[in-house]
Amino acid sequence: MAEVILQDVVKKYGTFKVVHEVNLNIAAGEFVVLVGPSGCGKSTTLRMIAGLENISAGTIRIGDKVVNDLPPKDRDIAMVFQNYALYQHMTVFDNLAFGLRNRKVPETEIRSEVTRATQMLGLEPLLARKPFQLSGGQQQRVALGRCIVRRPQVFLFDEPLSNLDAKLRAQMRIEIKALRERVPTTSVYVTHDQVEAMTLGDRVVVMKDGWIQQIGTPLQIYNRPANRFVASFIGAPAMNFIGVELVEELGVMSAHAKDFKVELSLDQAAVLRKHGAKTVTLGIRPEHVRLGTPTNNTGSSFTGVVNVTEQLGSELVIALNVGGSTIMASRISPETEVSPHARVQMWVDGKELQLFDDKTEIAIR
Amino acid sequence: MISFALHTLRRSIFAISIAAIFVVFVGPIAILGVTSIRPASGVFYIWRGTNFTLNNFVEVLHQSQVVQAMWNSFVLSTLATILSLSITIGSGYMLSRFGGWIQRSWFATIYIFRTVPYISWVLPLYLVNTRLGIYDTYVGLLLPHIAVHVCFFSWLMKGFFDGINPSMEYAALIDGCTRWGAFCRVALPAAMPGIAALAILCWLSTWNEFLFALILSGKRTPLITSTMAQFVTETGTEWNLMSATAVLAMMPALLVTIFGQKYVIRGLRM
Repeated sequence: MAEVILQDVVKKYGTFKVVHEVNLNIAAGEFVVLVGPSGCGKSTTLRMIAGLENISAGTIRIGDKVVNDLPPKDRDIAMVFQNYALYQHMTVFDNLAFGLRNRKVPETEIRSEVTRATQMLGLEPLLARKPFQLSGGQQQRVALGRCIVRRPQVFLFDEPLSNLDAKLRAQMRIEIKALRERVPTTSVYVTHDQVEAMTLGDRVVVMKDGWIQQIGTPLQIYNRPANRFVASFIGAPAMNFIGVELVEELGVMSAHAKDFKVELSLDQAAVLRKHGAKTVTLGIRPEHVRLGTPTNNTGSSFTGVVNVTEQLGSELVIALNVGGSTIMASRISPETEVSPHARVQMWVDGKELQLFDDKTEIAIR
Repeated sequence: MISFALHTLRRSIFAISIAAIFVVFVGPIAILGVTSIRPASGVFYIWRGTNFTLNNFVEVLHQSQVVQAMWNSFVLSTLATILSLSITIGSGYMLSRFGGWIQRSWFATIYIFRTVPYISWVLPLYLVNTRLGIYDTYVGLLLPHIAVHVCFFSWLMKGFFDGINPSMEYAALIDGCTRWGAFCRVALPAAMPGIAALAILCWLSTWNEFLFALILSGKRTPLITSTMAQFVTETGTEWNLMSATAVLAMMPALLVTIFGQKYVIRGLRM
C-alpha cells in the first residue's frame, strides 16, 4: 500500500489541454473515485497514474517515488479495464499468472497466489478455460484476480463495470466493496456512474472539462455540493434548479419565483446578505419536495400541476409544473394517487435548500 | 396453388443457378483433369474414346525443367511468405497502433503502390534486375514478390490489429512487459488466426503468380507457372503435358487450401 500524490498534473494534446493542474493526495489504503461525464479527463488522469499516458506537466508520486518517467511495469500498480483486457489466447490460470511470471516469481509461489485469488473470487472451476468461454461477470472477476495476485501498491480501475448489465453491475459493486475489506490497497476508481462513486469511494473527486470540481466524502459531495455542476451531477433524479429573487420583509428573507415562494432560514439570510446578490439559483433535491402541507415551522408550501408520474414500486416520482419551471419530486409514497394535470400542494423545508450564485454557479455558504 | 407454383419456380431457378455456377467453376478443372489423362491424340475429343493413360505425368516428371520449376516455386513461395509476413506484421501493427509522420508517409507509399497497375512494374523491374545482376535468381524474384505482398497485405494486417483491443497490450505493459514484449506476447498471439490466413493467401499468390515468373525468371530459376506456358511451342501446344503439369501444380495449392481453409475463414472473420 502506498499513497498517490498528484501535483499540478497537466495533460495536453498539442496545444489542447485536457487535464488542468490536478492536485490530489490519495492516502495509503484509501479508495478514491474519479467521477464525471464523458470527456471530463478522469480516464486520462488514471492513465497518467498508470503510465499509459505521458504527463505534460506536474509530478506524480507513488509512495516515495516520483513516477513521471517510469514505464508502467515499474510503477508497481495493477489495473482493471472496462473491456476486461484479458489475454484471449491464455487460460484463466495463465492470465492470472502472467504478471508474476514476468517478474520471475517461482512457480510454487505463483500457484499459491493464484489459488488465494481464485478462492477469494470463486474462480476455481474456471482455471482451465479461455476468456471467450466466460461470461462478462466471470471475465471481470478474472481481471480483478489478475490484480490481486500481484499484490501491487495501487489498484487502478477504469470503468470496470460499464460493460455489465444493470443487475450484474450491482452484484459486482458489492463484490468490489467486499474485496476492498479483504485486500485493503490504495485504489483509484474511474466511473461515470454516480451510484458507483457514492457507494464505493472513501472520497469522491468530481471532474468536468479537465478540472476538478470538488473532492470530498460521498456525503459531503451530496449534501454540500461545491457548485451547480456537482449538485446536478450527483443524485438521481437530478437536483431541481429555480432562478429566484430574494425579498426581505420584516427581517425575514424569502425566495420568490412565479407561483413559488419559500422562506429561508436565518443562517441562509445572513449568508445571502453578505453575498449581496438580489437573485440566486435555488437548488432543491427531489426527495426534499414533499407532498401535502408543511409539518414543521421552517417549511413553505406551493402548488404545482402534475405533468408526469413515474411509478417505481418503491416510490413515486412526480414531475410538476410550477410557474413554467419543472420540479421533480421523489420518494412520494407509491400508494399515492395522483393523476396528470391535477393541481397538488407541495412543500419544501427552507433549511434543506442549496443556494448558487447565478453567474459563477458556485455554492453560496 | 399459385403460391406452390411460385415456390417451385423459385426453387428451380435457385437449383439452375447453383448448377450454372458449379459448371462455370468445376467445368474447366474437370476438362483439365480429363485432358491430363488422355493421350496426345485424344486431347481434342476428350469426352470421346476410352484411352486413358498416366504417361503424361510420367513424361512430365521426367523433364528436369518441370521438377526444378516445382521445387523453385515451392522454395520461392515459402521464402516469400516468411519474409513478407515478417515485414507485413510489423507494418500492419505500426499502421494500427501508432500515429505520426512516419506512419502517414508509409501509409501513403503503400497506397500509391496499390494504385499503380501491377503490370506497369514488371518491365522496369526487368531492367533493374538485369542491371543489378539478379535477373533469373531467387533474390531477383523474391524482392518484387515481397514488395507486392507488403503493399497488399499491410492493410489486411492493419485490420487484424485494429480488431484487437489495445487495452490487452496496456494490461501487459502494467503486468511487466516492455512495448516489444506486449507486442510479441500478447498482440501477436491474438492476431495469429489472421496471420495464418495471410500466410496461406501469401503462399498461394506466389505459387500462382505468372507475370513476374514470365518476365523475371529464365532457364536458371524456372518457376512452375512459366514452365507450364512453355508447352505452347511453334509446332503446336502439347495440351496433355500442359494439363498434367497443371494438375501437378494444382496439388500443393489444393492441399494448402484444404488444410488451411479453417484458418483462412477464421482469420478473415477477425
